[in-house]
Order: sequence, then C-alpha cells, then structure tokens
Amino acid sequence: MAFSETPPLQPIKPAYHLRILNDDQLRTLKSSTLEILQETGIYCPSEKCLRIYAEHGALVDFATCIVKIPAEIVLSAMRHAPRFYTMGARLETHDLRLDGKSLFCATDGCGVEVIDFVTRQRRPSCKEDVAITARLADFLPSIGFYWPIVSAQDFPATAPLHELDASYNNTIKHVQSETIMGEQLARYAVEMARVIAGDELTMRARPPLSLLVCCIAPLSLDRDGMESALVLAQAGLPVGFMSMANTGSTAPATLAGTVVVGDAEIVAAMVLIQMACPGAPIFHSLMPGMMHPHTGAYLATAWEGTLLYPIGVELAHNWGVPALAGIFATDAHAPGWQSAGDATSSLLLCALTGAETGSGLGLLESCTLLYPEEIILDSDIHDRIRLEAAGLDTSPTALALDVIKLVGPRGQFLRQRHTRENLRRRSFSDLTAQPAPSGGFRDPLELAREKATRILETHHPEPLLPAQKKELNRILNLADNELA
Amino acid sequence: MPANMQPLEPLQTPFRLRYLTEQQLDQLQSATLDILERTGVKFPSDKSLKILAEHGALVDQKTQIVRFPRDLVLKYMAFLPRYFTMGGRDANYDLHLNEGKTYFTTDGCGVETFDYKTRAMRPSCKEDVGMMARIADYLPSIGFYWPMVSAQDHGLTAPLHELDAGYHNTHKHVQSETIMGEAPARYALEMATVINGSREDLRRRPSFSLVVCTIAPLIQDKEGIEGAIVLAEAGVPVGFLAMPTMGTTAPATLAGALAMGDAEIISATVLMQMVAPGAPVFHSLMQAWADPSSGNYVSYPLDARGRYAPVEMAHHWGMPALGACYGTDSLEPGTWQSAAEPALDPFMVGLTGAEIVTGMGLSHTYTRLYPEQLIMDADLYQRARYYLMTMEVSPETLALDTIQAVGPGGHFLAQKHTRLHMRESMKRAITHQVGPDGKYRQAREVAIEKVKWILANHYPEPLDSAKQAELGRILAAADAELG
Repeated sequence: MAFSETPPLQPIKPAYHLRILNDDQLRTLKSSTLEILQETGIYCPSEKCLRIYAEHGALVDFATCIVKIPAEIVLSAMRHAPRFYTMGARLETHDLRLDGKSLFCATDGCGVEVIDFVTRQRRPSCKEDVAITARLADFLPSIGFYWPIVSAQDFPATAPLHELDASYNNTIKHVQSETIMGEQLARYAVEMARVIAGDELTMRARPPLSLLVCCIAPLSLDRDGMESALVLAQAGLPVGFMSMANTGSTAPATLAGTVVVGDAEIVAAMVLIQMACPGAPIFHSLMPGMMHPHTGAYLATAWEGTLLYPIGVELAHNWGVPALAGIFATDAHAPGWQSAGDATSSLLLCALTGAETGSGLGLLESCTLLYPEEIILDSDIHDRIRLEAAGLDTSPTALALDVIKLVGPRGQFLRQRHTRENLRRRSFSDLTAQPAPSGGFRDPLELAREKATRILETHHPEPLLPAQKKELNRILNLADNELA
Repeated sequence: MPANMQPLEPLQTPFRLRYLTEQQLDQLQSATLDILERTGVKFPSDKSLKILAEHGALVDQKTQIVRFPRDLVLKYMAFLPRYFTMGGRDANYDLHLNEGKTYFTTDGCGVETFDYKTRAMRPSCKEDVGMMARIADYLPSIGFYWPMVSAQDHGLTAPLHELDAGYHNTHKHVQSETIMGEAPARYALEMATVINGSREDLRRRPSFSLVVCTIAPLIQDKEGIEGAIVLAEAGVPVGFLAMPTMGTTAPATLAGALAMGDAEIISATVLMQMVAPGAPVFHSLMQAWADPSSGNYVSYPLDARGRYAPVEMAHHWGMPALGACYGTDSLEPGTWQSAAEPALDPFMVGLTGAEIVTGMGLSHTYTRLYPEQLIMDADLYQRARYYLMTMEVSPETLALDTIQAVGPGGHFLAQKHTRLHMRESMKRAITHQVGPDGKYRQAREVAIEKVKWILANHYPEPLDSAKQAELGRILAAADAELG
C-alpha cells in the first residue's frame, strides 16, 4: 500500500541560552521543596504506593495517607534518575534523543470539544478526531511527538486506550499519553506499546510510549495516576509528573510559593518511581495556572504567570531530570491575536532555558477546545522561534563582502548570483504575506484551514503492519470487555 | 509626580542574552571597516563631503563616494558617548540611558488613520499626531514619543507640525523621524529650545531627538544628513537607521546585510563626530526581506532571526541602540498575524539590552494607524516586562508556613497570605476582562474602549501660554519660508 514519508523532525536547537534563576534562588527553592516534603508531607491515597514509601524510609501515616519524606531519602532516591534518555518512535529516524541540545514539541491535550473539521460546528470530541490530528501532527516537522489531543469520548471506559490506538495508526512519532490512569488500563497500554516496539528489549531501549500523570494541588497524588505510572516505569517506559498548582486557590498567591508547592508534588511522585524502579526514566513538568481574582477561573496565561514555565525547566534540571515545558497554552476562545500573543513568549524562553520536551500545540480555551487550523498556526510560530533561536551565520559567504563591493553604493543586488543562490534559502511563512488575487495579502487563518485540509487529503503515514493492527485490536477488545 | 503623570515602566531585567559571540561581533565589525575602506559610501551633500575631506576621509568629489581608512573610523568612533540623557518636556520623564533599562516608543511615520467617527480609513493629519501623543502620554509602557503619522494637512512643514502636536500633548521626550534638511532642522531646534528654556538646558537634557534613515545600499540622504549635522552641533541626539532589504538593496544573506547596513550607520556617525566630537549618536538597523515570489517588502518572514543582532553590534561600537520591535505586516489589529509576528520582539530586545526601542501601534508595515493597536502592542509589551522580571524568593513569597497550615488536599482561599497577595499576583491583561456572559471579552473591543477612555479622561498639563505663543510664531515663520 502506498503511503507518505513522514518529514524529518525539526526540533528547536538553541544557539544561545538563558538563566532565569540564580544559584542561590535554585538552592532556596530546592531546600523549600525538601522542607515541605519533610514537614508538611504529601497525601497519597494508594495502599500500594504508601507501602513502597514506607519500605524505603519515608514516614507514612496509613490512616491519613500522609507521607513525610526526609530530605536525605529524597536526595538519595533522585540520584538514580537518568538525566538523558531516548523516547522512541515507530521509526528510528524519528526517535527523540533527549540530550539537552534539542527541544521537541508535542501537541496539546486532552481537550474535550472540537470545532468539527467539516461542519465547523462545536461538538464533543471522539476517537476520529484523535486520529485526524495525529495525521496532521505526523506531517508537521515542528511536532516531535504526539499527545492524543482530545478525548475519545465515544469509548467512555477505555477512551485512553482508543486514543493510543488512534495515534499509533496515524503517526509514526512517539506517543505520550496524559490519560492512562489506573493499573489495569496501564497494563493494556504497555501491551500495546510492546506490539509497536516489537519486543521487550526494543521497548526499553526506544520506548514508543510515555505517560504524563497530573498531581492534585495542593500536595496530593492521584491514586490511579500513580499506580499507572508504577506499571509503566516497571516496563521501562518514561513517566513524568505535572503540577498545575493554581496561584491563589490551590497554591499560595505568590509565585515562589506556587513553584514550591508544585515542585514538591512532582518530586514526591518522582521519588516514588525511583524507589520502586531505580534508574527508571522520569521527567518533571511544572505548569501552574493562576486564579482570576474576580471569577475564580483558571487562567493559563496571566501576564506574569507564564514566567513559571521556564522556571519549571530550570527546576527540572536542578533535580537532574529532563523537563516537559509548558508552551502554547492560551485562554483564547478562537484562533487570533490572543492565541498568537500567548504562544510566542513561553516557547522562546523554555527553549532558551534548555527544555528537552514541551507540549502543547493546537488547543484553545485553556487546553480544552480543538480548532483544526490551530495546530498549523502554532506550528508557524514554532518555526519562527526555531529559526530565531538558531543563531547567525557569519561565514565569508554569508558576509558577502565581495558582492557588496561589486554592487557598491546606489546599486541593487537582484542580478547577483549570490542573491539567486541565497534568497530562496531564506524561510518565508506559507501563512503570512501570501498575495491575494484582489491585491493585498490573504488571511493567514484561511490559509491555515486550507493547509490542514491539504495535509489530510494527501498525507497518509506508513501504516502499522497487519499483524500489529490485529494485535492492537485484540488488546482493545479484551480491554473493552473487561473495563467497559 | 503630578496626578496626571504615571511613572514610566521601562523593561528592566537582570537576564542577558548574548545572541552573537565575541568572535562574530569582531567579524561583523571588521566587515564594516572593510566596506568603509574598500567600497565606500556615497554622500550626495557638498557640505558633508567638505567636512569628510577636511578630516582625512578619501573623497571622490565627482562620484561623491567617500572611503574611510580604518584608523580614521576608529579615531572618530572613540569620541562617542556610550550613554546620554533624552529629556522629557517634564524632567520626571527624562530618560537616562544606561545599562539595564529599555525604553519603548510608538511607531512612525504612518500615512493613513482609521477614523472612529466615520469608520473609514483616511489620510493622516496633525490632529491624529496630537491624539496619539495623548494616549502615549498616558501609557507607562511608552517612554518617549515618535509622531505616529504624518501631519499631511500641513504640506512641506508637516514634520514641524508633528513636533508641535507632540510637544502640546505629551510630557515625554519626542523623537522625530521626518525632520529632514538644514532649514527644518533649525526651526526644530528653535522649538526644542523653547520647550527646554535655553540652549544649555537643551544640550543637557534635550527634549527632542532625530532619527535619520540611510539609503541602501551605502548612500546617505542629503537632507537627512544635513539636518543631522545641525542637531549634532547643538548637542541634540541623532540616530541613523539602516533598512537594508535582503535580496534587493542588500545581499541575500543576513550577515552581509547587517555588515552593509552597519557601514551606512557608522559612516554617518563618523561624520557627526567630525562635526561635533562627543555628540550623542545612536545606532539602529532594521533589516527586511524581499519576497522571492513578488519582490514585496516583508518585515517578518518565518526566519526573522538576527532582528536584535544589531543591538549587540551597536554596543560593540560603544553606542546606544534603537531596537526595532513591532511593525506587523498584518493589515489590521487583533488578527493572529498581528500578534504572531511581533510578540517575540519585546522579549528579545529586552534580553539583548537595547536602550531605546521603536515602535508600537502601527499596522500594515508601519503605514496604517488604528489607535487600538497601540493598546494591544502595549499589552504584549507588559507581558514581556513581567516575564523578564526576577522572581522574588523570600520567606514571605515562599509561604512555607501557609503551605504547612493548608496541607495536602486543602485550598488557599481562606488564608490571610492569599488575601494579602492575590491582587498583586494577578496582573490582568486585556485578554482577561470578563464580559456579561461570563466569557472573556474580545481583546480588540477592550482596547478600543481603553482608547476612548484615555481620550475622554487624560489631559496632560498644557504648555504655558508663552511657550504656546512662541511655538506658534516659529511654525508661522516656517510655514511662510518653507510651506
């Protein structure tokens, strides 16, 4: 069967870097996290997790489910965590080597509503939306890996597994789930990942699946999330923990206070994984929000709140683990000025602080609403920043002194061979400055919609082998029978 | 500070980004010196050619091309002051250019205005300049004012009328981008002297400055350079702005375009230092691109890297930089494009440490004024300003006692610490204004309301009547002589 090549990835490779927190601040934040873990503790309503904590020296109150972890135990557990590792793709050419030199970006997730690709009407999301967007993501070089972007709500009990199925069938890229919660679901997901990898060894060396688990602010871990994470970690699949502490409601109304509450949640979860599986690949993700003081609403992008995203990256590195950075979040209701303004800054600063991974392109309304063209628009912004961060070529060819001398004052460069050779190498957006037949330029949003349609018409990534498809179906049937 | 004046809010950040390496900066500077020595720059001004020849430049009177020996450039660049003051009409708004502060201005000089009354686009006029000066005066994000549009209702003396409208409607420093030629410059100098009160005060804290565009490739504008000489002699800051377009008036490689634009700026700067050693001069380079399909001028292609490399090049020469922000190619405000293109600008320019930056508020590649664009650009600016501030890490902000009191699974709403800090922690953007339906309102609609509110409520202190009369007299004389 004919299929389309998936274009090579284009991660952001910053040529220069930025430090936001100084060493003193990093030390103070780390010691505050350690103090919270030791003095205040974490709520963890999982018998299984509590036992692991207790066996490794944490002080566990089984009645209240509060775990207090002495600082030296935290530090000792975190010493096992690998700083760098690989997240595998279906094809090795698209593996993500987290080596501190590149930032790979993923789609957003997990939305619950969609502006329908055909009718343009708003409706609940379904498995087909996950599949369609996976195909768009497969085509876009800016997307390094895929978060199932919306919920497969047409499969209520086993939606996370169907999201995984839709993804594997429509992109060769690494898939990171944010919804597989609970031990049973996790075991099915690991089976599916094993089918994609082909064998146990490959699955551990180039894991095609990873999982992100949200903590519950303040200072609580989710039972199903943590038990799921343990299953994946035991199978060698990367797991990460995200805090979405909300300044003013589930976190103190100061930025530093929000940071340490969130960091303590993440570190408590990472420590548990290292206790259970020393050396398991883990990652850190701090994506706090802020409470609107008038309405209590969650804001993904208050003026100064987004500073916390690159700060999260520095905290992750200070703990010696890779970061999943918060990028592209917007509270906008539709693509436009607000969504673009929100997107740009956080991506640049997260790239310059050295984030290894980031999510998420493509959603609006605080990560809940999928607009088909938004992933194309976000991808354009990604490329602007990728090029901005790439630095300047000052080689003799780029300086072109002989050409300048030849042209001299009052001349023009149009006829120079150097111009012919180099002007086309410059990158121009295919959304902006596109001439309209009636003069002026075409609307970038309209062009983005057209581009999404064109990709969906023409791009069909390499399919899974028939045996793999069959095996995934078998696993899904079993899961549906057991869990639905 | 009087009640109708808000303190300025410049970008201040301890973070520094080095875009170019030291070696690249040396390479670029050496390329500039090479161009000045081997290729030269055309000065179509007898006055300038005479000064250049007298000071050791190699002048070909016939072609008007001037070549600058390397040592000569370095000798005169050594006179440049690294920092200086740009005075406000009110001393509270003096801008003391120094390390760590970045002041932004409006954009200029557009030619069309969207009229709120008629809901139609029309040619710009002097009243628009005054109206926007009043809005700029109100906004703490605006450190100084570029007359945003052309006073096209005043023909040849439009630049002086723009200055007049600026002085009447803002306490802040006014920087012109249109006063070209010796005679208009002398009138502008007279007007600025009226505002400052004396020539001595004008030299100490000049209420006015000028930016002059060079012509790519490698030409100075006769009127521009002769106007600049008048101002430099009086101690008024002048800056030179190169706008090389890659592929048409500059090489199609960025480093070549930067070196060539830099050569234009440095040749003009050297001339100023020959005329008035120690004269305050700033550096500005805004490269653009030619669309290979249409030849159109593009400010923001996908690959717009190096937009702030010229800031580092200016500093490498020991000069303050006028950074280039905003100026979207979008036809109107509120579009995806009008944020996607410039939103990165204030971050990058703040991180590279430009002293002054243009310019907020115009659409359609610096030509079209929608007043609300200034409010929306200011919102993007404020995001950057907060983003680039340090985070306070102290016992009070860490709030460990409060965290201990709340514990796992609680909430912070009932805490005194939350009541104390919540309002200061949430800086509301124009995007987070709740409408009657409980949803966030359209940012553009909120911005238009803010424009109307400022115009209805903010009136800067008027100039005293003697100064008003004197400005009127100077303008009348200029209209009679030049108009």
